[in-house]
Amino acid sequence: MRANVWSGRNTVQVENVPDPKVLNDRDAIVRITSTAICGSDLHLYDGYVPTMKRGDILGHEFMGEVVETGRGVSNLSVGDRVVVPFPIACGDCWSCRHELYAACENSNPNAGLAEKAFGHSTAGIFGYSHLTGGYAGGQAEYARVPFADVGPIKIEDDLADEQVLFLSDIFPTGFMGAEFCEITGGEVIAVFGAGPVGLFAIASAVMLGAERVIAIDQYDYRLHMARNKAGATDLIDFSQDPDIVEQLKELTGGRGPDAVIDAVGMEAAHGHGALHAAERVKQAARSESDRGHALRDAILACRPGGIVSVIGVYGGLMDKFPSGAFMNKGLTLKTGQCHVQRYLRPLYERIKNGEIDPSFVITHRLPLGEAPNGYETFKHKQDECVKVVLKP
Amino acid sequence: MSQKAAVTVHRSREEVQRLWQDSEYRPPYIHGADAAVTFKDAPGDRGTEIHVDLERGGAGGKLGDLVRKVSGSEPLAKVKDDLRRFKQQVETGVIPRSDGSPEGELAERKLKQRPAQPLADADREKVGI
Repeated sequence: MRANVWSGRNTVQVENVPDPKVLNDRDAIVRITSTAICGSDLHLYDGYVPTMKRGDILGHEFMGEVVETGRGVSNLSVGDRVVVPFPIACGDCWSCRHELYAACENSNPNAGLAEKAFGHSTAGIFGYSHLTGGYAGGQAEYARVPFADVGPIKIEDDLADEQVLFLSDIFPTGFMGAEFCEITGGEVIAVFGAGPVGLFAIASAVMLGAERVIAIDQYDYRLHMARNKAGATDLIDFSQDPDIVEQLKELTGGRGPDAVIDAVGMEAAHGHGALHAAERVKQAARSESDRGHALRDAILACRPGGIVSVIGVYGGLMDKFPSGAFMNKGLTLKTGQCHVQRYLRPLYERIKNGEIDPSFVITHRLPLGEAPNGYETFKHKQDECVKVVLKP
Repeated sequence: MSQKAAVTVHRSREEVQRLWQDSEYRPPYIHGADAAVTFKDAPGDRGTEIHVDLERGGAGGKLGDLVRKVSGSEPLAKVKDDLRRFKQQVETGVIPRSDGSPEGELAERKLKQRPAQPLADADREKVGI
């Protein structure tokens, strides 16, 4: 089959690789009909996530048709149309039984590696380095889906691929980020990053009843989408004025937002001054430093007693964590890879009810063979790119 | 360095102890290493803790040296593999396998990962799956 593989920093290529086979009773093989490039794929592309290997098939947002099932998969049949969640979860361990699917205790066969890096292992993830298992990803014609009796959700109506594809990651991830904010009505929520995850965090905060949602980005076209498609009430363009904390204070009568969502992660762009310069040097030297401007500003901007919700991906270590502000303001930090399996059913219902059409983020549709162009266009924000969908 | 390892299995102590002796589940390395193994009820609904102490079993010394020589792996790493695989098999019924680690959790694979792409038939035969 053809697949998009990582072949060194800033290089991917579409190659012929062997077809996947069922290796365990609880596996299924899916013929992929739609797949996407995620912002977090750019962290791999850029080489900021350790334990990548040449030849790794990328991609963790995909859907398709079941073409084979192992003996232990009785809930799916050949021909079923499914969306596959990006964390691989066994459904049986204590964490899965408590709906902490991204913390699955069994699905990462490189748990020993992950323990060295993070203290504990978390769930295996498709196409996302060997630290999360070394699983082939979904930017390919076929994928092997382990624990297929737990993860995939069947799509049994005539919704288009593009309307349900993002159940695999970015819609639930944005939704979880908004849910962390404990919205009961009347809140002001600030969202760092109006990329695909940030846009879904904004849309979800609006759905959950926030009164005002402030979108923060440096790209005009993304801020437009935040207002016009996701429902942001206020915009901060930090290419115009880099002092985000001060602008957030001004927009909130000095209080600060009730909760702040970091939908940016380790490659934050907006830093300025000496700290930013130092971090760029450290990152360029690959000395394991996550660039932390978004998270730092989130902590400084959030109102005392508020919530900082981190759904942007971090991978290593971060300098200058503002522990004084964090402690003295009494903030709550909530974070994690999304427990996608927990959100599949309720968010699928919201799509069916017409509360949201997640396809609004798509700006580029390309054949799988053009994945390398897709990565470059997405990375450099060319051609007003927000989200790239690939068709195998 | 500590020669202890532990894992919690989400099953009752009776079941865990029974399966620990079952030939289908029995962790091969730990059984061969003559390690000291204890079982404890975990708090709340968390199941059963399995604690392995290589030093008390006397396996850290000469046998440890032999293991290092033959497999290139630390005995403790082999114990941890065993514990994870036992937990996986008891809780899920399978040993999770990826393209990078097709044998499942295996100390020797840690630094010799295959690329994360499907194995050709010949490679699958080589690793016995």
